[in-house]
Amino acid sequence: MATQRVLQWRAFARTWWLYDAANQCPFVSAYRVVPYLQGKHKPIFHPLSDVGDHVVVINTKDIAMQADYWRTFTFFHHTGYPGGFSKASAWRVHEIDPTRVMQLSVYSRIKGNLLRKGLMRRLHLFPDDKIPDEILENVSDQIRQVQPVAKRLDQYSEEEVTEFPKFFDWPEDFVKDGYKRHMTRKKPKRRYTV
Amino acid sequence: MSNRAIPNAFVKNVLQNGLGRYICQLQRVTLNFCKATPSSLGTRDFIEKYLVDFTRENPGTVVYVKPIRNRAPFLVAEYLNGRQERVSTKDMPADEVCKWLEHLRTRSGAQIVNLRKEWLTNTPSTQGVWHPFLNKNPSLAGTSFPAPELYGAKTESKSATDMVLEEAGVKKVGSVDSASSKE
Repeated sequence: MATQRVLQWRAFARTWWLYDAANQCPFVSAYRVVPYLQGKHKPIFHPLSDVGDHVVVINTKDIAMQADYWRTFTFFHHTGYPGGFSKASAWRVHEIDPTRVMQLSVYSRIKGNLLRKGLMRRLHLFPDDKIPDEILENVSDQIRQVQPVAKRLDQYSEEEVTEFPKFFDWPEDFVKDGYKRHMTRKKPKRRYTV
Repeated sequence: MSNRAIPNAFVKNVLQNGLGRYICQLQRVTLNFCKATPSSLGTRDFIEKYLVDFTRENPGTVVYVKPIRNRAPFLVAEYLNGRQERVSTKDMPADEVCKWLEHLRTRSGAQIVNLRKEWLTNTPSTQGVWHPFLNKNPSLAGTSFPAPELYGAKTESKSATDMVLEEAGVKKVGSVDSASSKE
């Protein structure tokens, strides 16, 4: 029956998903994105059938990392030749290519089998929200973000800031922090008390 | 599993045999044995002890008993689908011959193959085939992406700002009331 053939095409049609990585942790986002690449969110999933979807990730330049991971998290690479080892901290990798951290976190999340490179080819990464039209026209749904995005102070209007409720007034002699970070932190003197 | 030499197929049944009535698929069985050699001893015992009972219980099956000289004994079963199965009964006691004959009797005659899947249905699903657009909100078709209002993370707990605003709202009212009452 001809309709059976069409039903098959429809069941195995690839969906294109959009994921906004702005202010999202790349490692947690990888956990969210990879099942869509593998097709594990579908009831027809089977490891031998190729049912993975496409995921378009935008705003990868605005990803957020917890604590001081930008400084401490290190990516390693080895070319295979003697002396081919190199490493770079996350901020450096991000500076060179703003899509690279997201790409590596998704890549390391997928199991290292023959499917990995095929799945990675269905991951489309863009540093900002400028997507080519031929990709954007395929997108039919969005993946929910992994963490809520807080509103920054400069995103509030001046009215909202001035009208925000105050519980108390600062004393006149109180010195507010000027948001300057001391580069060298002095070791506090140890005081001996009797 | 993925071997081209070993045949593989899907589960099948002979014309839904047994749903209404059961038809024994074994049509003819030939017992080949030697009258003299010891390798046929068990087969000869079987013929003496059990074969008549077997034929009485299975009137739909033709039984041939065929003496062959100085050869190892064997059973040949012929099925309704035209296939033959051959089982060597060399050096087997009568009980074991009995078991093999029972095995041949209860088979459908289909070749034993690797099963690609352990299930099979010829009837399509009643609820229809799944597709990626099932249970999706139809308004997605008219949405232009990216649509930030659709993909924000769900938060069940209140943020600190919400809590402050809520607290302030209560306090404001209370403080005004208390202030006015004091005055």
